[in-house]
Amino acid sequence: MKKIMIDPVTRLEGHGKIAIFLNDDGGVANVYFQVPELRGFEKFSEGRPAEDMPQITQRICGVCPEAHHMASTKTLDALFHVEPTSAAKKLRELLYSAFYVTDHTTHFYILAGPDFVMGPDAPPAERNILGVIAKVGLELGGAVIKTRHDNHWVIQTIGGRPIHPCFGLPGGVSKAINEEERAKIEEIAKSSVEFGKLSLKVFDDVVLKNKDYLDMVLSDTFTHRTYSMGLVDENNKVNFYDGKVRVVDPEGKEFIKYAPRDYVEHLAEHVEPWTYLKFPYLKKVGWKGFVDGKDSGVYRATPLSRLNAADGMATPLAQEEYERMYSTLGGKPAHYTLATHWARLVEIVYAAERMLELVQDPEITSTDIRNIPKATPDEGVGIVEAPRGTLTHHYITDERGVIKKCNLIVGTTNNYAAFYMSVKKAAEDLIKPGKEITEGLLNRIEMAWRPYDLCLACATHSLPGQMPLEVTIYDAQGNELKKLSQGI
Amino acid sequence: MKTLVLGIGNPILSDDGVGIRVAQGVGKELNDPQITVSETSAAGLSLLDSIIGYDEVIIIDAIQTQKGKAGQIYRMGPGDFSFAKHISSPHQINLVTALELGKVLDLAMPQKITIFAVEAKDITNFGEICTPEVERAIPEAVKMVLEELKFQTSP
Repeated sequence: MKKIMIDPVTRLEGHGKIAIFLNDDGGVANVYFQVPELRGFEKFSEGRPAEDMPQITQRICGVCPEAHHMASTKTLDALFHVEPTSAAKKLRELLYSAFYVTDHTTHFYILAGPDFVMGPDAPPAERNILGVIAKVGLELGGAVIKTRHDNHWVIQTIGGRPIHPCFGLPGGVSKAINEEERAKIEEIAKSSVEFGKLSLKVFDDVVLKNKDYLDMVLSDTFTHRTYSMGLVDENNKVNFYDGKVRVVDPEGKEFIKYAPRDYVEHLAEHVEPWTYLKFPYLKKVGWKGFVDGKDSGVYRATPLSRLNAADGMATPLAQEEYERMYSTLGGKPAHYTLATHWARLVEIVYAAERMLELVQDPEITSTDIRNIPKATPDEGVGIVEAPRGTLTHHYITDERGVIKKCNLIVGTTNNYAAFYMSVKKAAEDLIKPGKEITEGLLNRIEMAWRPYDLCLACATHSLPGQMPLEVTIYDAQGNELKKLSQGI
Repeated sequence: MKTLVLGIGNPILSDDGVGIRVAQGVGKELNDPQITVSETSAAGLSLLDSIIGYDEVIIIDAIQTQKGKAGQIYRMGPGDFSFAKHISSPHQINLVTALELGKVLDLAMPQKITIFAVEAKDITNFGEICTPEVERAIPEAVKMVLEELKFQTSP
């Protein structure tokens, strides 16, 4: 048999690679994957003033700069030992909620939507937003654009600049909003709630009422029973901006709950010889391999994981949708990877409702938006929920606040192990001896990884963080059989 | 006639910042109220937001092709991206899709879009300057864009 060396040190061409090796009878022998990672960020940030980090780190990702800006700003609060004012926290969360509406909307309609609306057997040329709009109508297409556009205006108004906010400071924010801006944001929040409800209706009509799709969602091929991670508030409800990190076991029982500064006690990284990627896992469970179950330290941090890790949603409509989702899925926690798309829609409703709550709070137009730090900086950790998963920033500085070391765990990184397991399982279940490898079959394998929405900054300008990816299937002699690619 | 010159890129990701650097160079040479020079690090759909309402758009970006040499400069229209298998860029399909989407939704799309792309060497290491070959290409790319503008705006 021809041996193919997977050299993890080989420089990739800027896209991810999945290699599926078949055995002699045509079934799957092994699966490997490699994704390009950006290098040298720690070195790049050494010697910079920590206050610059919200501006710098948001450049890492062209898709969720607001998430990095927010995590970095909270890290500065911790680093400088300063508590933000109450109004500042509300403004930060208001901006962040608007961001969630745009990001999740974009993801669902551009990435996930095509799978379900067009179907996995539709030709690739149709499985995109244009196909979706052709099927569900121009009006919905217009509503997607308008929701994004309006909420981008909200982010710019509060954050001071389009896409890359410049408002996060240790102890607060740099600008307040006036009544005229507040009133317009309130209108946008209300229409965003309606849009969230509409999107759930689309999901209902297109996915839940279609038995084939529902079967796919509930199938074992796309299921992994892992620990679930997400930020929760003091009532254990989902919160994107602040709280403690809660992890529940595969049966839904709380396993750990930690404050940001304690993350190193709970997470460790596993290394494999065939990739330079590292796989985070729960230290207190230990690394048992790429396997499911309570005894495996593999965890997921995705929209579905957030809903699993919490006891509910903090706003009424989202809570209703949360309950409906779990009742349809047969209980909580849910381990159906494809249901991540559903969880995203529930989160749109929550984000919009939360926007409305915050913008109607009388304090939101307050000008008391900053507490000036007085303590000497040393070390700080800030955690937010990025749309793709729990995002951790950790800075160590000298006494002037100049960065000596920094560590980031981005949303996607949490899910490397689970992503790999999902791809491997889908490949093993779908590629069988004697079965023809069709485009539709490969699409279904793609559907196993799409819910994770792997976002790597090298895909900075790609549509919602869609990483360019190449999947190659090799026969037992190591000859290339078929190739599938996305975004390349 | 309103023209937009839009530099796309990531200014802290080495060669991925070349589009922005070129746009900045162009901006320094221009003083025409009908021409807007702008930068963005945004994704496909957000690109759409940036270009709506302009009659002509010049986009400047980094690109990586299979056989290209670092610093090489290409001039293209959207049609050049559609089925060009020899070009490998995370941007290509998204720009084309974004443009088609704009048309489908009847948004005020530009009549003419030109793309200048500079072959990048390193887009995976953080850095605020480009690699030497790409740095050297920046003034040349600025010249090419200015030529294009003269051509477009001349009667």
